[in-house]
Amino acid sequence: MRRNQGCNHLDHHLARRQFLAGAAGAMGLGLLGSPATAEKIKGQHKRVLQIYLQGGVSQLESWDPKPGTEHGGPFRAIPTSVPGMHISELLPYTAKQMHLLSIVRSINLKTNDHRQGRLFMEKGRRAGEYPYVGSIASKYLAPANSELPGYIHISTRGLTDSTSAFLGAQHGQLKFEGVKPPKNLAVPKGLDETADARRVQLREQFNQQFRVGRPKSLTESFDASFQQAAKLMGRKELFEKAPDPKDLERYGKHDFGRNCLLARALLENNATCVKVTHHGYDSHAENFNFHLEQLGEFDKTFAMLVDDLHQRGLLESTLVMVYSEFGRTPKINVRYGRDHWGTAWSIALGGCGIQPGAIIGTTNEKGTAVADREVDAGHLFHTYLQALGIDSTNDHDIAGRSIPIGDPTAQPIKELLS
Amino acid sequence: MSLRSIPYLVACLALFVALPATAFSVEIPLHQQIDLLIGVGKAKFEKTASAPSDDATFLRRVTLDLTGTIPTSNEVRAFLGEKSTDKRTQLIDRLLVSPEHARRMQYVFDTMLMERRPDKHVPAVEWRNYLRTSFLNNKPWDVLVREILSVDGTDKKTRPAVKFLLDRELKSELVTRDLGRLFLGRDLECAQCHDHPNVNDYLQRHYHGLNAFLNRTYLYKDPKTKKTSIGEKAEGLVSFTSVFTKEEGKTAPRMLDLPEIVDPADAKADYKVKPAKNVRSVPVYSRRLQLANAMTHPTNIAFRQNIANRLWAMMMGRGFVEPLDMWHADNPPSHPKLLDLLTNELQKNGYNMRLILRELALSKTYQRSSQISAESEIAKEINFGVGQLKPLSPEQLAWSMMQATGLTAKTLKSLKTKQIKADPKNGAKKIEEPLWQEEALHGALNKNVTAFITTFGFVGAQSSRFDASADQALFLRNGPLVQSWLVPAGDNLTARLKKLKTSSEIAEELYLSVFSRLPEKTEAENVVAYLNDNQKKSQQALQQLVWAALSSDEFRFNH
Repeated sequence: MRRNQGCNHLDHHLARRQFLAGAAGAMGLGLLGSPATAEKIKGQHKRVLQIYLQGGVSQLESWDPKPGTEHGGPFRAIPTSVPGMHISELLPYTAKQMHLLSIVRSINLKTNDHRQGRLFMEKGRRAGEYPYVGSIASKYLAPANSELPGYIHISTRGLTDSTSAFLGAQHGQLKFEGVKPPKNLAVPKGLDETADARRVQLREQFNQQFRVGRPKSLTESFDASFQQAAKLMGRKELFEKAPDPKDLERYGKHDFGRNCLLARALLENNATCVKVTHHGYDSHAENFNFHLEQLGEFDKTFAMLVDDLHQRGLLESTLVMVYSEFGRTPKINVRYGRDHWGTAWSIALGGCGIQPGAIIGTTNEKGTAVADREVDAGHLFHTYLQALGIDSTNDHDIAGRSIPIGDPTAQPIKELLS
Repeated sequence: MSLRSIPYLVACLALFVALPATAFSVEIPLHQQIDLLIGVGKAKFEKTASAPSDDATFLRRVTLDLTGTIPTSNEVRAFLGEKSTDKRTQLIDRLLVSPEHARRMQYVFDTMLMERRPDKHVPAVEWRNYLRTSFLNNKPWDVLVREILSVDGTDKKTRPAVKFLLDRELKSELVTRDLGRLFLGRDLECAQCHDHPNVNDYLQRHYHGLNAFLNRTYLYKDPKTKKTSIGEKAEGLVSFTSVFTKEEGKTAPRMLDLPEIVDPADAKADYKVKPAKNVRSVPVYSRRLQLANAMTHPTNIAFRQNIANRLWAMMMGRGFVEPLDMWHADNPPSHPKLLDLLTNELQKNGYNMRLILRELALSKTYQRSSQISAESEIAKEINFGVGQLKPLSPEQLAWSMMQATGLTAKTLKSLKTKQIKADPKNGAKKIEEPLWQEEALHGALNKNVTAFITTFGFVGAQSSRFDASADQALFLRNGPLVQSWLVPAGDNLTARLKKLKTSSEIAEELYLSVFSRLPEKTEAENVVAYLNDNQKKSQQALQQLVWAALSSDEFRFNH
């Protein structure tokens, strides 16, 4: 029996022989991946939209309001487009789209640490070098002829995460600083297209000689990065195009509005996973003013984006995730803030493969604990991937090593899958 | 090595013993012993092994490994023209005493020990300077580690060494884990809450034994200087409970399976400096101070094995144990006897890392080509019979590109002129000092290296896996930094190419400068063909010729 419960290090799954077999290709892991898995989902062009509310959005001011209770805070709950489903009055536009979305109200991560919570939510594991949902989507969902990198993260701050683990850098997150396109997209000054093509050809010529009699994995990985760069350069206008003023009016002229418009454009152009980070939910002080402001930005923009995806027929093939690293304490502190709280909080999700209009799990009356259907990020991880048609109980097959895609001790939330 | 090959080894040893005429020099040099244990000379091994690398390849390889950059075109010419039979040995000895070698070791060990984490309490500049000075003096590894693990950060002189502990803020999940990973080659993280589930020999008491050295320490911030240092209490025990079996355990400080270091019986929570508000407490008996000794103690063989494995990996591109921090019974070293040999040599020679690097570089194993011939079979397992491709580190890539494009030489020239102007009396002498040159160049060009680290480096556990991403390719392809080095200026590479009369001369200078070798006939012809259909020698055509070579596979790897 495997005793392993919480901690799922990569090395737990590796044996000596597998290390050696992997060593020859140690460096170019993951160009092909599991053919079975890849075949199964080829051509469906499934996509992921991730809206990450950084810092930890308050469940009580969003998806799980408890008005009139001890820790409920000043805001009311309002009805939504789903009969019987109420969310915070801070989300009036989103409330009208809830028939397209579902809520999970019973998450217990057992951590109150930003980094641990975030990594757990992204990797579906508490520890270890595992790929993020976005990198997995890039690997298994991105069409072979995709013209955009598989995993794009639009954010206004922060460092680049190492997201792809053993799947290889080509499935790593490509970070956009807001709507600014990636750096170095333009051909150097003084070079025209012909000259650029010629120098790339010349580079190839240099490479041919070198590759004779040498293992391919490293050079292929290096080459793949150049091919991806060329694709990005080819889509330069897409990143540079100014948004339609009418759209900007609907989405809002703030960064989050602009970032979501770019996300829509990328998804429409067959990007596979687009993550937009909305910063600033870590409200240790003035929680209510902060949420009023933050969710004021989030609500309308997000509702417009979901509506657009729906109207354009993209929602069926696009999994939408709204998540944080944790929620916020029911107890209101002396600075009118709420602190870190991984114990009983909520996320929203919808679109591809997800039953709409559902509420999974409950918290107790005061919101201080999960009352029913407790889940953690391991369960959510399986749910996201299975909604996308990826068998999360399968293994990554990486150069002879088999690594379970999802945590084998967790299962998907079956009732949420459509 | 298999049992069957022992008779063979004995025969070989006998042969070597018989060869030297004098009775005194019976000892086989370490590098030859390395080759014997790898399998050199055995028919089966030789079938898959590659030929020795040619002089140019060897020069590039060893210059990169030992000094972190490629050689200049003049150095390549000189080395190819050199007739002496021991020129490789001479080269290795020259490189090992150069200031560039100390810088390279600084990069390697800084990346290994700090894993590119952002600064917390000790400025990286001071820490790196401490490392570099240590390597300039070839400070033995045990001495270096003793310093790193025993300083408390209060003495200005030794403060840089406390970065390892202080920048991890003494957090046990970081410090304890990294003591195991980086100094013992064992990642015990999973043994924090339970005996390791899949690795039978990682036990919870191993983790907590290491943890017990530091569990009484805390971060102390001096209210006046605002500087953080390490304080320690005189009490505090380590006990643990398995989250699986609920078994409880207690441990005093210990190194893996070595005996516990029990607190002295008369140690009654006594203090040299008692804890109080705004006071850094110092106990009479310090558990923390036992750490450095226990770590470097001769009985702690894991400490030696770890550094032997890491030095091997640095030179050969892959450890005997890989990943370098996953040493356990189910992932044993690929060449245990050879590892034992290196481990013992380290101890015998007082942890002299320069000596080990020298012997590794001298070995046939290190000097093999990375390219297999048509008749060779590709070995199924890595047996070190073929040179590994080693991706250049961000630092190596930056310095090599600056060297290839001639930026380094051009910068040094102007630095020298400036120095003579600033110091007319001694300047002319000063500028000939290798250490002055290295430091001046580093000062002038370090910002370029930082730009490469930002793009090609990553924070956290370093792995030997090669990863390349689109933003890196864009940086190389279109980035203004690399492009700026291609514009002709002074006597940089493009300027030199521009002055050359024939296309074949251009091909030769390009290959010597960028690939550190002469072009083969077809390669030279390709360059000539490119130049012919690109308006002869237009400046742009030359710049992009250099660019294509710089961005190629051959340049990206140490081969």
